[in-house]
Amino acid sequence: MAVHITLPESRKKSAAPDAPKHLVTPGDVITTDTGYMRGHGTYMDDDKLKASLAGVVERVNKLICVQPLKTRYNGEIGDVVVGRVTEVGQRRWRVDVNSRLDAVLMLSAVNLPGGELRRRSAEDELMMREYLVEGDLISAEVQAIFHDGALSLHTRSLKYGKLAQGLMVQVSPSLVKRRKTHFHNLPCGASVILGNNGYVWICPTVDDEKVESSGGYEQDLEPVPSTDREVIARLRNCILSLATHKLMLYDTSVLYAYEASRQYQVKDLLQPDIAEKVADDTRQRLQMESG
Amino acid sequence: MKEVPMSTCEREFILKAIRDRKRIDGRQTYDYRRLKVSFGMERGCCIVDLGDTKVLAQVSGKIEEPKKNRPTEGSIIINLELSPMASPAFEPGRPTESGIEMNRILERNIRDSRAVDTESLCIVAGEKVWSIRADVHVLNDEGNIMDAASIAAITALSHFRRPDVSVMGEEVTVHSPEDRDPVPLSVHHMPVCVTFAFFDQGEFLLVDPNRSEERVMDGRMVVGMNMHREICTLMMSGGMLLVKEQVLRCSQIATVKVAEIIELIQRALDKDAQARQAGEKCGFAESVPTNKITTNRKEATAIDTTAAAQQASQVIQEAGPVDKPMSNMLVQAPGTVQIGEGLVNTWDVDDEDMESEEKEGREKSVTNGREAVATSKPTERKRPVKAVSHAEGSDSEEEETVMLFQGDDETKSTEEPDSTALMQPSNSDKPAKKKGKKKKAAQK
Repeated sequence: MAVHITLPESRKKSAAPDAPKHLVTPGDVITTDTGYMRGHGTYMDDDKLKASLAGVVERVNKLICVQPLKTRYNGEIGDVVVGRVTEVGQRRWRVDVNSRLDAVLMLSAVNLPGGELRRRSAEDELMMREYLVEGDLISAEVQAIFHDGALSLHTRSLKYGKLAQGLMVQVSPSLVKRRKTHFHNLPCGASVILGNNGYVWICPTVDDEKVESSGGYEQDLEPVPSTDREVIARLRNCILSLATHKLMLYDTSVLYAYEASRQYQVKDLLQPDIAEKVADDTRQRLQMESG
Repeated sequence: MKEVPMSTCEREFILKAIRDRKRIDGRQTYDYRRLKVSFGMERGCCIVDLGDTKVLAQVSGKIEEPKKNRPTEGSIIINLELSPMASPAFEPGRPTESGIEMNRILERNIRDSRAVDTESLCIVAGEKVWSIRADVHVLNDEGNIMDAASIAAITALSHFRRPDVSVMGEEVTVHSPEDRDPVPLSVHHMPVCVTFAFFDQGEFLLVDPNRSEERVMDGRMVVGMNMHREICTLMMSGGMLLVKEQVLRCSQIATVKVAEIIELIQRALDKDAQARQAGEKCGFAESVPTNKITTNRKEATAIDTTAAAQQASQVIQEAGPVDKPMSNMLVQAPGTVQIGEGLVNTWDVDDEDMESEEKEGREKSVTNGREAVATSKPTERKRPVKAVSHAEGSDSEEEETVMLFQGDDETKSTEEPDSTALMQPSNSDKPAKKKGKKKKAAQK
């Protein structure tokens, strides 16, 4: 069996073209000026404003806060998340969304089969397990935030719901850009859901009409052809290489990474040097487009 | 911290493999992982490695008042610590239900089966007795903490030596280790736990489950047994029902496994005793291996060199007569010879990181450098330096293969493509103009 071994090399300094950001580590003094209001990630020590997280200092008028580089997902209302059901409870499901607390999906926040609109009864409660069990993956939107920080999700639209066949990639939540839409049908032949919580779902493209008619309950469990599988595997490796090189994930960057990776074999994309090349190509292309 | 939930795919995969009588790590159904017992410098300190699961046990003794209802007996206390060091799933502070359960099994196994004689721990009846305490810390949880903890506890108790005590009437003297040799505890038998994991409502069973198998299992059974085929503990947990034949079968399997484990423990104890007696170094520093990768050692393989030898002799015959050796060599030191006058290096090799894109540019610069050198120092080098090219088509893993060759016939054939071969520098001073022309042609 052939084994691929890479020798250790000195890390090359990445060409960071952006303006130098104010990076801080916990305990660093941000400013001694007392005129600022302190936001998230900061605390007052004597008369100095210090950072409590490792991240980038952001200033909005008089408010100073620190955006952490690596953190658990902090939900905002309206975010699209991909989560895994961990528990079936009384009239609710508990969903793991890579946050400090498991999110809650209430029974009243899901669509009933067939799309009917009625009050949820006791039978519906007993039928909860027919719809979502522990281990299922869902895509949902954040409806509200509880006092303790737990999120309340809903799958009221037909584009949300239980996810069928596909592949999940876990990246850091800070790498997913906030966009108008998080559901992308890529021209390379796969669909991608970039969850704000860092869970990315890649699946073969589904026809929209089929989804609408069944009310979001039917799962397409037909075998996926191997060409689609290869596209999905390649997309997964591209997303991982973008994530390891800390590039923001959005539909354009994923598409450029896919095109840059076409010359390599899918399994070669897992090697660190080729992954770096793909990430560099994507970064260059994005810069050319923007600047 | 709650553990990341296991995906349904992974769960199904492990279950399907088990139904096919296969395990993810390649073991057989009744196989244990690699078991290693090592001892520390102190008496009573022992680390048990069961695959990646690592457990440390430390035994200590204290003199205390005995219990009122048992005035002539000492006490054995076993404390199992599940700290976040073992796994992020363990929370600091109060032990969880599973932690308490495992602690109770350990205590029942050793204390209730009278593995260590408590009567011999008595010093003065009703007043002073030894209280022996075994602290078991889980250092890493990769599945099956129960077995590793039980092995660690009983081994540490066998390894421990308590200070010798002499009673003269009313006076009790505790002798220090320098005064009198410490005395071992009287261990009657060694009870060891064997864990069985059940799947599909008791249809499939595995011995020594690892972390992922534990997460997928329906329930488990722990059988604590000693060398004399006596069952010391029997515990079943998880939501499943077992038939009595299964329970009997498990105890049969446990007899075999326990015999192997106790043999291993005995060997480890004997080896440690020998090492201590011989005065050799003992302790974790000796037994824990340093994971170092030094060189890639392979056995020497015989190579058939007859063909190469023939080719070499042919080539030597075809080549012309050898030029006379130069006379301007200065011997600096044994093994170091200086030719020329120590001028600027005109080999134009900057650093070893050469990418193939830069190859052409570098060759051009080499050419330029060479010509510049040729013009500036015409007396020194009539036939300037080598072409720098890469071993084309070489499959070697190293990217920095630099091959300096002179375009000579004699050197091309005998050279290996993936070694940095710096050819004979003495040839550079040969005033062979015709070779220079051939060389430029070869480079293009």
